[in-house]
Amino acid sequence: MFLARIEGTAVAAIKHPTLEGCRFLVAQRLEADGSAAAEPIVIVDWFGAARGSTVVVSTDGDIARARLGNTTPARMVVVGLVDQVQLRKGAAA
Amino acid sequence: MRLGIVRGHVTLNMAVDAFRGKTLVVLEPVTMENLRAGNGRGGGKSLVAIDALGAAEGQVVAFTEGREAANPFWPDAVPADAYCSLIIDSIDVTP
Repeated sequence: MFLARIEGTAVAAIKHPTLEGCRFLVAQRLEADGSAAAEPIVIVDWFGAARGSTVVVSTDGDIARARLGNTTPARMVVVGLVDQVQLRKGAAA
Repeated sequence: MRLGIVRGHVTLNMAVDAFRGKTLVVLEPVTMENLRAGNGRGGGKSLVAIDALGAAEGQVVAFTEGREAANPFWPDAVPADAYCSLIIDSIDVTP
């Protein structure tokens, strides 16, 4: 799992049938120093995460399979909305 | 999933049986910088993915990587590690 910041939303009319009705967010993976990964990710969200908020993303497809069926290609799923991340200063370096 | 621009299609001469009838596309992953700029550029390291949605060259797809890329073929065993899950119509990342 990792931290990610929600940057926006993605809309797709043509998709794998198991993904019908899912909410797709565009996010950036965060490092401990607050920097973001170069490539954005598209994640499935059932929590209603807001733009600019930080979430925990799991890359385990089990949750998606349980909800969307065995044939779903969904993998990255929001598993929690972050209240606060406490990091010791300098620990990230 | 990551985002990738379809740059082309791959035709195989010989292949594992599980790939018979499947379409392979070459994807160029998109960086956040290029996504925000909307310049049609990718910037990531290219890869090959299975596409069952009919994505055309130039279109942006969201692709699943890893074990889950083979889920759509369950219970068949297909040695795929990238699969086009969405053809993106629009992305809104305005701050």
